[in-house]
Amino acid sequence: MENFNNGPQEYQLRFYGKGSEYFGIIIVNWLLTAVTLGLYYPWAKANQLRYLYSVTVLNDDAFIFEGTGKEMFKGFIRVFLYFVALMAFFLLFLYLNLSLIGAIILYGGIFAIMPLAIHGSYRYRMSRTSWRGIRFGYRGDRSELVQLFIKGILLTIVTIGIYGSWFVVDLRNYVMSHVRFGNIRFKSNANGFDYFMLNLKGFFLTMITLGIYVFWWQKDIINFYLDHLSFHKGDQEVRASSTVSGGSIFALTIVNMLILMFTFGLGYAWVVMRTMSYVIDNLYLDGDIELDTISQTEDNYTDATGEDASDYLDMDFII
Amino acid sequence: MIRTSGTYFDGISSEPRRMEIAFEEGQGQLDFEFPLSGSSSWHAREVSLERLGMAVHLRIGTAPIPFVKIDDAAFITALYAYLRSRGHLPWYQRMLNLGLPVHLAIAGSLLALVAAVYIYFLPWVGEKSVVLIPEDYDNTFGNSFYEEYIGYSTVDSTKTVDLNLFASHLKLNNTKALNFVVVQDETVNAFALPDGHIVVFTGILEKLRGYEELAGLLSHEAVHVNNRHSMKMLCRNLAGYLFISALLSDVNGIMAIVGENIRSLQSLSYSRQFEKEADMDGLAVLAANKIDPKGMTGLLSRLKAEEGKINVPAFLSSHPITGERLAYIDTRIKSESYVHKEMPVLKEIFERLKK
Repeated sequence: MENFNNGPQEYQLRFYGKGSEYFGIIIVNWLLTAVTLGLYYPWAKANQLRYLYSVTVLNDDAFIFEGTGKEMFKGFIRVFLYFVALMAFFLLFLYLNLSLIGAIILYGGIFAIMPLAIHGSYRYRMSRTSWRGIRFGYRGDRSELVQLFIKGILLTIVTIGIYGSWFVVDLRNYVMSHVRFGNIRFKSNANGFDYFMLNLKGFFLTMITLGIYVFWWQKDIINFYLDHLSFHKGDQEVRASSTVSGGSIFALTIVNMLILMFTFGLGYAWVVMRTMSYVIDNLYLDGDIELDTISQTEDNYTDATGEDASDYLDMDFII
Repeated sequence: MIRTSGTYFDGISSEPRRMEIAFEEGQGQLDFEFPLSGSSSWHAREVSLERLGMAVHLRIGTAPIPFVKIDDAAFITALYAYLRSRGHLPWYQRMLNLGLPVHLAIAGSLLALVAAVYIYFLPWVGEKSVVLIPEDYDNTFGNSFYEEYIGYSTVDSTKTVDLNLFASHLKLNNTKALNFVVVQDETVNAFALPDGHIVVFTGILEKLRGYEELAGLLSHEAVHVNNRHSMKMLCRNLAGYLFISALLSDVNGIMAIVGENIRSLQSLSYSRQFEKEADMDGLAVLAANKIDPKGMTGLLSRLKAEEGKINVPAFLSSHPITGERLAYIDTRIKSESYVHKEMPVLKEIFERLKK
């Protein structure tokens, strides 16, 4: 394969979702979920994700979500059983008048599942996402993430929340830097101190302006993450940036609220489409990675071993 | 025979490769001319189709990769028309193809169903299920709330004794012992708990202008206890909550919004219905005790005067709009003949309570 540099490439990200189409999906899902007394839920979720991916288009080719309701249903059952077991232990210790131990088990159990949920959600989502037949993948290590998480939680508690900014950034750097798209590596090198200052500024200006600044704060957070995200293939690189502005986030939010209010909630489909299209159409990629030369690196998941499959979980813990 | 060219992605590299596809509409046969591996033929129903924006992805079997992307609109239309005419479209796809008007109609019917369940079915469930809850539970539930509440309040013990004395001269049709408590609070209000505790604020005592009004207040609150209104409300709210979360498990957040709206409106009108019941039955209690029923209208006039001051929008209030209550009570008083006489004992106790 040729590996010489062809100079800057053209990248075009577009969102083509239509409110009327998404509304159809939501209503059919709603009907089926009601008829099946809720059992259809994982399938409904798969249908929605599939649509949202399929209308997100990079250089004329859509992203594909290949996950199925059946897979998500299995993940859901696992999580459900975990919580049933946790509650059973809690009630057992309560019954034995050892409520302190019961509470520790309950809260410990809830905290313990969070890094596992992040790991599982990324493993699952990435392995089921593809573009031009090339899969995404998440190569993070479960025990490393758990360690990072425990360290972060403890330091956040000890510093009465101040370390929270560093924790969130570390977590995001770790997860994003372990995402692959074929032989393209993702990299996130955000800095906890910058994030802390951004939030400090955002918090005080929001207080001073009686909440109005919150939209500009939101813009700063989006830009912060994108500015520190890059994609690498050999010595080729792509960087992300965004043209969202506080004023337009403000307008978007107000109009979305009005739509929801005046349609009694039914305008939800249009609200999602407006929001997605706002974010994606304002996203820009610059760099020199040739999109025609990405090669497949991730396994076909139907060959995945049992150990791998047990990792897969979809809990919407996509940060 | 329709011909078009598509883009083949082999799942090894992201490189798009041109390829030729032909569709024979009579037999439903698709001929693929693959870039490297040569040609092969498949029947249209052996191929899975997925519409992605303006394009369609074709793949053989169910594995998502490799696939062929086609964006020739005429070719796509012909392919779908064939599958539809032979009934090969998956049922889910057919439901999506129903179009916006049908989807709106489905949404409308589901909403109507939810609303009907809320308005007609849940009140019935609340009414019936309360019978299953032993009265003991009313006491435990009410008492634990009372203990919690009274810990933060100042009880006026002299007035409490007088109020219980006042109540002892009335026949309130109560099935369980009623326990009246006067609490020092400027709020013009009173409330009843399911265990028979009736809390009256000094604020409302100050506003009342006659023992008939106080008798009206006590008989109103006693009806709430006698008819187990709190427990009925609890059962209805619980049933409503279970209905929403279990039956329609929230797929899109729509149900949360819709449900919350209907629920808050409904629970307002539930309580309005209960207030009306308490007003009307309270009126009957006054009549049975030979007390001037105008006490009830007087009581409401005091509440109305108070409402004017704080200006709570009527639709947010848990009680029926006070004007409306005054109107229906007035109508009832005029439609029936009431015999009433002076009650010097009550008058005397009332004077003491006013001090």
